[in-house]
Amino acid sequence: MRNFILIIRRFFNLILFAGLEIICFILIAHSHTLQGDDIVSSANTATGLIYKKQTDLFYYISLGKMNDSLLSDNVRLRKIVDQYRTLDTLRDSFVHKALVNTDTTVHVIKYADYVYRTAKVINNSVDGINNYITIDRGSKHGIAKGMSVISSTGLVGRVEYVSANFACILSILSNKQQVSAKLKDGTFKSTVWDNEHPETFLMKDMPPELKVKRGDSVFTTSFGSVFPPDVLIGRVAKIEMNKKNGKQQLFLTPATNFRNLQYVYVLENLLAAEQKQLEELPAKK
Amino acid sequence: MNIYLKNILRFCVIILLQVFILNKITLHWFTQPAGALFNPFIYPLFILLLPFETPVWVLLVLGFSLGVTVDTFMTTAGMHACATVLIAYLRTNVLNALMPRNLSEYINQQPSIKNMGWSPFLVYSGFLMLLHHSVYFSIESWSASSFGPLLLKIVASFVTSMLFIIVYILLFTRQNVTRA
Repeated sequence: MRNFILIIRRFFNLILFAGLEIICFILIAHSHTLQGDDIVSSANTATGLIYKKQTDLFYYISLGKMNDSLLSDNVRLRKIVDQYRTLDTLRDSFVHKALVNTDTTVHVIKYADYVYRTAKVINNSVDGINNYITIDRGSKHGIAKGMSVISSTGLVGRVEYVSANFACILSILSNKQQVSAKLKDGTFKSTVWDNEHPETFLMKDMPPELKVKRGDSVFTTSFGSVFPPDVLIGRVAKIEMNKKNGKQQLFLTPATNFRNLQYVYVLENLLAAEQKQLEELPAKK
Repeated sequence: MNIYLKNILRFCVIILLQVFILNKITLHWFTQPAGALFNPFIYPLFILLLPFETPVWVLLVLGFSLGVTVDTFMTTAGMHACATVLIAYLRTNVLNALMPRNLSEYINQQPSIKNMGWSPFLVYSGFLMLLHHSVYFSIESWSASSFGPLLLKIVASFVTSMLFIIVYILLFTRQNVTRA
């Protein structure tokens, strides 16, 4: 027994060192399983508060820039509203009647309902392997894990950790999540992001006969019900032939400028649970 | 100033510098589109500047708490802590190899350019910082497939970190100006 204590005393530093390193690796392993332990993250209340104070300061300085981005967003939305306003629905009343009364083959489907919540970005990273964005809304304001997040210009990411007042978003600049994407003509494929090209997304293995031009937009699809459909992901910046398998590789520049994000919208899909429940039925049988 | 108070103050200052200023700097080297994004780290300087006779277990505990604090701010659970604990463990051995006398003979002194001279201090901090950066970025990428970019990232971050460390040392060391 005495020898045992002596050995422990002699190698105390080494044992402490090993112990602390093991704790570190347990923390790392936990965060990589996507199970959402938010002990060590900036959704944590203490660090969240500090970041909030700092953003309040910078927020005031860059009000002008933000105004511009909101203005351009407003213009875009106004255009869409005008498209509907100019439709003269009164004159089309005949078709309308037919729809309701006689034609039983046409169904009016209730599409996925989204609730939009605005949130202010209080911390942001762009240079890691997995990049996180902290916002000042949490479970108190109705944010839950898995909701998708967009900015006024394009896709941002998905809510990963939630605390009472803050939430962490895993941005699409991450190799943990792939985004299902489609081109204008409907060809779909998932985009990949890797840390070797931090400012671009990749769409690998596109069929060689596909005609893509530089500047073509790429949108999200509704597959997997993770992201809402038709949100702009980015534009094609470069097209490359992969000589190994003769397929095309597309490089996209993201539509969202992750470096100066200030406001984001958090989307809640009200019908997601129902869709998921239905899709899981065949798997159970 | 009291040595405890001084180090607690330095802990806060270094964390604030790291989180609010250096973390906002994301620079490119060799840009477009394969540029290596990197982020300079100066927070290991807190471990490097603790007094000579600090026992190893204190270094380890302080290194762990420093790393976890930075992790909390950067949402990188445990990665910074892992690298910082490693350099905290190796610090005493490196200092023993570099200093002419036994470490217990330097009472109430801390590693600095004044106490060690320029080149031993740069070797000491350079070696430990390089170790810290290699460990951190290797854990972060967690694969050997992108070895080239990883190496570039380590070297670029290391050089920038060292520049910031030298600036910090020059700014926060009291100069004994001899008046003519």
